[in-house]
Amino acid sequence: MEYIALTCGFLLILIGIYGALTQSNILRMIVAFTLANTGVNLVIVGIGYINGRTAPILDTAVPVAEAATRIIDPLPQALVLTAIVIGVGITALMLAYAYKLFTLKGSLDITAIKELKW
Amino acid sequence: MVDPILLIAIPLGAAFFLGLLRDEWRTSAYVITLLTLAFVSWVSSSWLLGFSLDKIAPVEILTAGSEPPFSINLRMGLNESVALLMISLTGLLSSIYLKDTLFRLGRRAMAVLLVFVMAMCGIVLTRDIFNLFVFIELTVIATAGLVLLSHNTLSLGAGFKYLVASQIASILLLVGIIFSYHVTGTLNIDGMAGMSNVLIQTSPLAFFLLFIALVIELKPFPANGWALDIYESAHPAFSAILSAATATASLFAVDKILNIGGDNWLPFATGIGILSFIGANLFALAQTHDRRLMGYSSVGQIGLILIIIGQRDILGENYFFIAGGVLLAHAVAKAGLFWMSGLVNARELSAWTALRKRPMLIFAFVSFIALLIGLPPFPGFYAKWELVHVLASEGRIALIVLILFGALLETAYLFRWFGLILRHEDEAPVVACPSQKVAVIYSAVLLGWGLGYIWGELSGFGNLLYTIPLLFALLFLPLEWLPAKLKNTFAIMGLVTWFIVQYPAYDPLQLIFAAIILPGGALVLLASYYNSGRRIGFYPSALWMFAGLSMLIMAEDSFAFFAAWESLTIGSYFLILRGKQSQPHALSYILFSLGGAFLMLLGFALASEGNPLFPLTSLASVASDLAPWVFILLAIAFMTKTAAIGVHIWLPGAHAEAETDVSPLLSGILLKAGLFGLFVLLINMGKQQLYGVELTHVLLWIGAISALLGNMMAIYQEDAKRLLAYSSIAQMGYALFGLALMNHLGWLMALMFVVNHYIYKSMLFLSIGGVAKRTGTKAMYRMGGLITLMPLSFIAVLIGIIAVSGVPPLSGFGGRWIFYNAIMSAEYRLPMVIIFLAGPIAFLYLFRLIHTVFLGQLKDEHRQLKEAPFWIILPQMIYVAFLMIFALAPGLALQKVDGYISRFFPNNGLNWEGLTITSDFGYWSPVSIMIIIGVIFVTLFSWLLFVNRRAQKVKQFNIVYAAERPYRPETTHFAWNFFAPYRKALGFMTQPLVTRFWDTVAELLHTAADLLRRLYTGDGQTYAVQLLAFVVAVYFLGNGVM
Amino acid sequence: MIKRFSVFLIMLGLGAIFLQLLLQYLPDESLNLSGRYYAENTASEVGAANIITAIIVTYRGLDTLGEVTVLFLTAAIVGLVLSRDQSQPRVKPADRPQPGELLSIGTQLLVPLILLFGAYIFINGHLTPGGGFQGGAILASATLLMLLTHPVKRFSHRLITRLESISGLVFVGVGMLGIILAGGFLDNRLLPLGEFGELFSAGTIPVIYAFIGLKVGAEFSSMLLKLAETEDN
Repeated sequence: MEYIALTCGFLLILIGIYGALTQSNILRMIVAFTLANTGVNLVIVGIGYINGRTAPILDTAVPVAEAATRIIDPLPQALVLTAIVIGVGITALMLAYAYKLFTLKGSLDITAIKELKW
Repeated sequence: MVDPILLIAIPLGAAFFLGLLRDEWRTSAYVITLLTLAFVSWVSSSWLLGFSLDKIAPVEILTAGSEPPFSINLRMGLNESVALLMISLTGLLSSIYLKDTLFRLGRRAMAVLLVFVMAMCGIVLTRDIFNLFVFIELTVIATAGLVLLSHNTLSLGAGFKYLVASQIASILLLVGIIFSYHVTGTLNIDGMAGMSNVLIQTSPLAFFLLFIALVIELKPFPANGWALDIYESAHPAFSAILSAATATASLFAVDKILNIGGDNWLPFATGIGILSFIGANLFALAQTHDRRLMGYSSVGQIGLILIIIGQRDILGENYFFIAGGVLLAHAVAKAGLFWMSGLVNARELSAWTALRKRPMLIFAFVSFIALLIGLPPFPGFYAKWELVHVLASEGRIALIVLILFGALLETAYLFRWFGLILRHEDEAPVVACPSQKVAVIYSAVLLGWGLGYIWGELSGFGNLLYTIPLLFALLFLPLEWLPAKLKNTFAIMGLVTWFIVQYPAYDPLQLIFAAIILPGGALVLLASYYNSGRRIGFYPSALWMFAGLSMLIMAEDSFAFFAAWESLTIGSYFLILRGKQSQPHALSYILFSLGGAFLMLLGFALASEGNPLFPLTSLASVASDLAPWVFILLAIAFMTKTAAIGVHIWLPGAHAEAETDVSPLLSGILLKAGLFGLFVLLINMGKQQLYGVELTHVLLWIGAISALLGNMMAIYQEDAKRLLAYSSIAQMGYALFGLALMNHLGWLMALMFVVNHYIYKSMLFLSIGGVAKRTGTKAMYRMGGLITLMPLSFIAVLIGIIAVSGVPPLSGFGGRWIFYNAIMSAEYRLPMVIIFLAGPIAFLYLFRLIHTVFLGQLKDEHRQLKEAPFWIILPQMIYVAFLMIFALAPGLALQKVDGYISRFFPNNGLNWEGLTITSDFGYWSPVSIMIIIGVIFVTLFSWLLFVNRRAQKVKQFNIVYAAERPYRPETTHFAWNFFAPYRKALGFMTQPLVTRFWDTVAELLHTAADLLRRLYTGDGQTYAVQLLAFVVAVYFLGNGVM
Repeated sequence: MIKRFSVFLIMLGLGAIFLQLLLQYLPDESLNLSGRYYAENTASEVGAANIITAIIVTYRGLDTLGEVTVLFLTAAIVGLVLSRDQSQPRVKPADRPQPGELLSIGTQLLVPLILLFGAYIFINGHLTPGGGFQGGAILASATLLMLLTHPVKRFSHRLITRLESISGLVFVGVGMLGIILAGGFLDNRLLPLGEFGELFSAGTIPVIYAFIGLKVGAEFSSMLLKLAETEDN
């Protein structure tokens, strides 16, 4: 189970990065990066998972005293939230850039942005 | 002390608060921004003072009321406070600089700026790895936002490329973090470091990903195209922050992370650092865009610091002194340069000529490049010294060589740039300098010098800013507004006073050199009274050189010696650069000199086995397996200064193109520094053998060949000053030869050359300089017949060439006499033959000098010429008097020295009886020689007058041949290509092979740089591919560790 | 083609790195050091039933502050980027198709419910799954719905920025109060921990989460608005 999540996560990362490096359309690149980010999030959550345990919320189902043996690791879950939010922020920023680039150049082709080099 | 958490909370609060203001209230928003940044700077500096003065212990700051590793904690220590101050000050100064832009863009931009500074402070403070990630992402986002401050629309593309690269870095970082967490069960950096063994054994790749992701944030070469694009297109004030503050923060992050990985990972940092340092500096050679050039230079400097980080296992407690010195110097200098680039309108390097008319800005520029290269008295200098010593003691010699090579590349493009600014033909229009921007730049200059002072205090080698000669030179900076004549008087008084003060401390050898440098320098400076106006830049440079020279002869340990050596090199570089056509020559001078200095550094480091304050006298006791290598390194270093053949190519141009009163300083005085070094070397190390080769024997050959080829090249020159310059190469060859004989008379002769060469070369350069000033040319075929118009100059040249050629009765003869005695007592026949041959050749060019300039026909356009200016003639006449006295009574100077040399070579000394000097082979009585020659001369001269009493004066007429149409008119002049027959016969010996060799080296480097830098195609995806390829390559290369 | 091939090769390399990571990976059988501490001590120290929330808002509150700042920054930058050319004339409303009846009625019906739901999510963040970010995102979806219905309707930027700023200031302020009144920056024991599992418990967590919710909602809304306005041009 853990391996499946991790493998899927890694595959998503690879697919995402491959897309980001081969698609020349900026919007597609951004989508590819979100894919890769999802992969990363999956990996993070997968790491925190412990077979046969439940969510780290204490209530009648999981009393405080039994928590240590009943819940999965809560920390990765907290981290993934931060990672997601940061991913959203960067995606929004990239979209804004894409918009500006489009108004400037009339195209979304990354290979056309080559004025700065060497 | 204020709680350091406020460094994060207050800027953040201020940023949120800005949102409450109306968009139109820009002034209040701006004031809030500045106040916040000032507050942050104040907090950091108060902690810094607390740590450094009151020695308080580092503090842990807990959050959320619980202990780490379960909650995030921060740490404030000395290093943190330094980095924080650097970051916040850069932010503050940049936002002052950015005033107009921030007003235009409004409160949002200011909020982004505040968050940016806050995030960098967070990177420095936090001890939690995920928190580190959050702050890094904040800087990434803020960077992408601030890139938009630029008017330059290209910055959009750059920003996007940057985002792509950071996305990849953050993916790697996150994966690394979560796997590291999985193994160690903690996110706390110190906690992870505590479990380092477990982490490295069970999942080394997790750490690899952490490490490589943070390294990518440092923009390592070659995975950094996006960063260069940002440097090129972003607003300069932002690039200043990026280069100074962000780099500081990222390096801090890498340093923290390496605590986790342990020493096994340090070689990775070193390797990546070397690649960056050399690669980036190489690419910068071919760069003509100023900001991109600075970008390359930043990458290089970060590489250097990464190398230092990679050495921290051996640097011990010096680690922060060294890394901090380089880091802070780079930060201040690069920020300053980026700020300056905002004053210049166009982006070619040559557009910076606009600064030419503003001496203060030129001074700022000089300070910045000196900070970058690590010249004295700046922190990089002390740091470099310490670093190389530690590396040498650990046997990491290859690393030293690579570091010094990279530093030399950096020197090349930075000093070329500086030369362009002062000497490029086209001058860009003067730029407008808003006062707040200029103030920001000047505060960076102050900071740089302040850092120099602090590092001097911390170094334990003695603070260079306390040395009186250097302070005296610096004193001339605020006096630049005074007229040159007044400053000249100060300078002369200073030199003479220092000589009198120091007199009792000199031993005979030092005394000879001191006499040439200090009173001798004062004498040459008499000629400078000729200049009117303020002559900005001359006196600080000249006195900096004199300071270096006078410190050099008094140096007792390797550090003092090296510091003096670099000081005199820099001072003289600025002097050389003052010549109108001297830009390329000044550049090759500084490259050869600093190259030599680096060899010296390596030599001392090897010799001292890690002792940074190595007494020069201990050179005698260097371990025998190292000694020959030390000898070679130091000898080459000194020979670059004496311009021995092979490393001589800087000299002719530098001496010939310099100003009239600078040439004698360079030739008469500066060259002696190299001879002094050789004296010190030979006195302490004596004969050394390497693989059975006697090294002094090699020096002997070099000296002989320099003498021969120097003279051969001199005879073909058309330019009078060049002729004299080549002659200096030969003269130094003689002196080197004498020294390398390693016997009593050889050394005496070398010292005789030291004095003689000073006198007659200064005199000749002054008189030829005076003639050149009057005629407006240095080409000998454009002169002629000046004897009647400039009789005093003629006399000086006549006396000078008699002295140089070594014919009786002047002191040159004495030199020769001792010389022949010296070689008689040595057993090297072949080099002796060569050196004998060189003698008559010298006669050829000297004859040409007097014949074509002063004799022959007067040119029409010269009929109205007057004698050279009084102040130029005056020192010449004093020299003539000196030569006479020295010729009559050489014992005045030499007897004491002779006694001194007897300490080293008791045998074969001279015998001084009254005015007669006796050697094993004969005797020399200067007075009788003078009388005999005088009688012969008077007799012949009277006879000549008598014979020619009826001679008729012939009017000049046009001698251009009929029916011939010369393409170059000078070819019909007799003085042109004067020694054509000799050239036909012996010209092959003066083929500029050496020049061609060095030209080829330079060209190869440039071509390589120009070709290879094309890997930065400008395509964002390609950059990302390169980045990942870099990661994968490091992974495969480091497979042994993982 | 060469590019694709080299990218493919690099992907193979990266894949090798990941594969090795995976091979070195050993799943946990029990909670590690940090996990166990949180499981055992959250209830007593922080008083939040949702351990994740306790971690997010208190233990790793500094991260969350950073997170909020990320959104704040992004909103500010998007604002900067997109406000550059607002001088261009706007397309007249008449040129646009009217929203369908289903959409407009649905919006009127759903927006209050969505807002209520969002508020519920972030107020109960310390008890149930959810919290400020989730709630804020839900709030912003209401804005999105309204934008879909009335693309040209002007929303009050001022209101949104004020909301954003004030929530941010409250967050920082509560954090700072923690230094003075409790054990450190962002310590939630500023307010009494209350009874475990109740709405009013866990100290300042509900307060902070509520403001985070508002702030996130405001920031997402402002970004959406900015992006929508570019659509008009």
